Amino acid sequence: MIDLTHINYRYDELSTEWVLKDTNLKIGKGEYVLVCGKSGSGKSTLAYLLNGLIPHFLDGELQGRVSVVGKDSRDLTVADLMSLVGLVFQNADAQLFNSTVDKEIGFGLESLGLSAPEIEEKIERTSKALHIEHLLKRSPMTLSGGEKRIVAIASVLSVSPPVMVLDEPLAHLDWEGAKRIREVLLQLHEKGTTLVVIEQRVGALHQDATRCLILEKGEVLFDGSPGDAHPILIHQHLVPRYPARTTGNEHFGTTLLEVQQISHAIEKRPVLKDLSMEVKEGEILAIVGPNGAGKTTLVKHFNGLLHPSRGNVLFMGKGVRRQSPADIASRIGIAFQNPNDQFFKTTVEDELAVGWDLCKKTPAGWLEELRTLFHLHELLSQSPYRLSEGQKKRVSIASVLVMKPRLLVLDEPTVGQDGLFLETLADLLLTLCAKGFTIVIVTHDLDFALATARRWVVVHGGKVVATGPPRELAKDENLLKMGALGNPEWAPADNVHETF
Amino acid sequence: MKRFDPRTKLALGIMGIAAVLLTRNTFPLAVEMVLLLGGLLTLKMLRPLVRVLKLILPLVGLVFVIALISFAWETALVLALRLFNLFTLSFVFFQALDPEELGDGLRKMGLPYEFSFILTTSMRYVPLIGMRIRLIADAQRSRGIDLRPRLRNVPRFMALLMPLLVQAFILAEQLAMAMESRGFARKGRSFRRGYRIPLHEYGLMFLALCLLATFVIWERG
Repeated sequence: MIDLTHINYRYDELSTEWVLKDTNLKIGKGEYVLVCGKSGSGKSTLAYLLNGLIPHFLDGELQGRVSVVGKDSRDLTVADLMSLVGLVFQNADAQLFNSTVDKEIGFGLESLGLSAPEIEEKIERTSKALHIEHLLKRSPMTLSGGEKRIVAIASVLSVSPPVMVLDEPLAHLDWEGAKRIREVLLQLHEKGTTLVVIEQRVGALHQDATRCLILEKGEVLFDGSPGDAHPILIHQHLVPRYPARTTGNEHFGTTLLEVQQISHAIEKRPVLKDLSMEVKEGEILAIVGPNGAGKTTLVKHFNGLLHPSRGNVLFMGKGVRRQSPADIASRIGIAFQNPNDQFFKTTVEDELAVGWDLCKKTPAGWLEELRTLFHLHELLSQSPYRLSEGQKKRVSIASVLVMKPRLLVLDEPTVGQDGLFLETLADLLLTLCAKGFTIVIVTHDLDFALATARRWVVVHGGKVVATGPPRELAKDENLLKMGALGNPEWAPADNVHETF
Repeated sequence: MKRFDPRTKLALGIMGIAAVLLTRNTFPLAVEMVLLLGGLLTLKMLRPLVRVLKLILPLVGLVFVIALISFAWETALVLALRLFNLFTLSFVFFQALDPEELGDGLRKMGLPYEFSFILTTSMRYVPLIGMRIRLIADAQRSRGIDLRPRLRNVPRFMALLMPLLVQAFILAEQLAMAMESRGFARKGRSFRRGYRIPLHEYGLMFLALCLLATFVIWERG
């Protein structure tokens, strides 16, 4: 189906670095290929190559030959290739550009010039196959993350391409969303579609794929069965191996933050319902739960970004309601999911200086200590936008920590990150905890939460449904049954050096 | 009204706006207002209008007060009535015509598909951009940047503007790639939904034209 021969590609003809180097790859009909690799290893570039965006849409220098279903991709346009290779992009918001789901599924069919009855029939067939008939008249913007992914797959699947390429289809999804996508992919595979799936969350798809491809700096490092790939995935840190818990205070201090029976509604829909919890000084606490449980809404109450309709939030015994979030930032710092939301300076050094200049009370040596701790010295003169995803996350957390807040809150810090960064981040958090910082991690990545937090608060349906030691809660049948928790993607023995 | 052909809706909207803009006296403007509200009552759209009016009426009131101070009360009344009628008409127009229908209407009137599609897609992304602004503001406030609307905070709004611009460019590039990959530029596109203006809609447009002419003659006469 796909034949790549001696492929070299670089985005900038003047660059000395090739993104793909002498890549040779043959993919046969009906294969399910899982493509893994660190950030910047050339995974997305490979996807663009398969559907013709390279060389027809993206500039750059391409050497070698790409053949799809026996045809040279240079001889076809991207529009010609759409019926041969369907590409599902990582960013569902960019992929879904129509006003309703049925129009979204019909768009590709209209592009092919099909008649109206044929389009209607294919929309119906595709939506039935993916069990999304009930979503057809909904706007894609109102869908959940998992639903958006399935609609994005449907929008490509409707033209029945023999090859489908999916770029990180599990990014941002919790265990339920990931399970649904996994089922959809298995269903497509059973029907004979050739699948090329690029994914950082190797554990979720590892057992389904028939072949695993590991890219490293633009070269194929491994090409073989997923079973044989396992030791290499671990060696390459694509499956995170978390540091042993040797640091940190076993006995938590006094209550630093107390949430007292808060309720909050968004557009009359209750998101938090009479929720209470507390954060103890010096602990690493994970707020876990499925997407839409109210986790981010909860932490936005910590620093006054949101105010509860009922109840109180106390930090060190004082209410946060009367202070602005900017004033509280020197005591409670929150780093949200997308680091790009923070960057507005031309260099990393200036980005860090923003918080430093705003907070006059920070000890003199802290900025230097932070730069060393986060390995930022070599990045200081670079633009934050040109960094890798892991580097961006490091800068984003450091720019919040620069004010030395007592409480650091990280909202979904693992989303879109490779295994190597997850290891680094876990290590960093344990170091920060040992230095006396109190840390709250908001996540649906239970492997990461198990490896870093000493206590979990499980939020489900806007309520705290359980609090306690992670290992006990992770096995709680009731929590698993109600969907408040899911099974970790890897068995703990696979990715934690030492149990705690 | 929702079932009308988008070209009919466009024509009715344009004629309505022309009628309001060409009317310069209090009484005809008041008649227009009564006709509009009567129409909304018949179409059962008065209740949603009331919600929008809560936002609009203070602005209409402000225009009335400024005009009253600056000019005569007749002018103030004309300006306030005209503004109210324009808002109400725009409300009806956008309630009855979703952006995709507007694009389809314009395409059927001869605008190339590429332009009508860009027009409708850009409207679709407005709420997404609004959401991004809120997320960026939250992220910046959480790291100590005060973005409350105060004079001393004006230079700090770069912290909001820059990430938004960069993200808008990234989104535009990703959107272009996604559209290209799904055959946007392909020749020979078909359209799922066909449009045809039925006879009674031609009649309605003729009636609206007569009403417009009546108002113009009444004004000039």
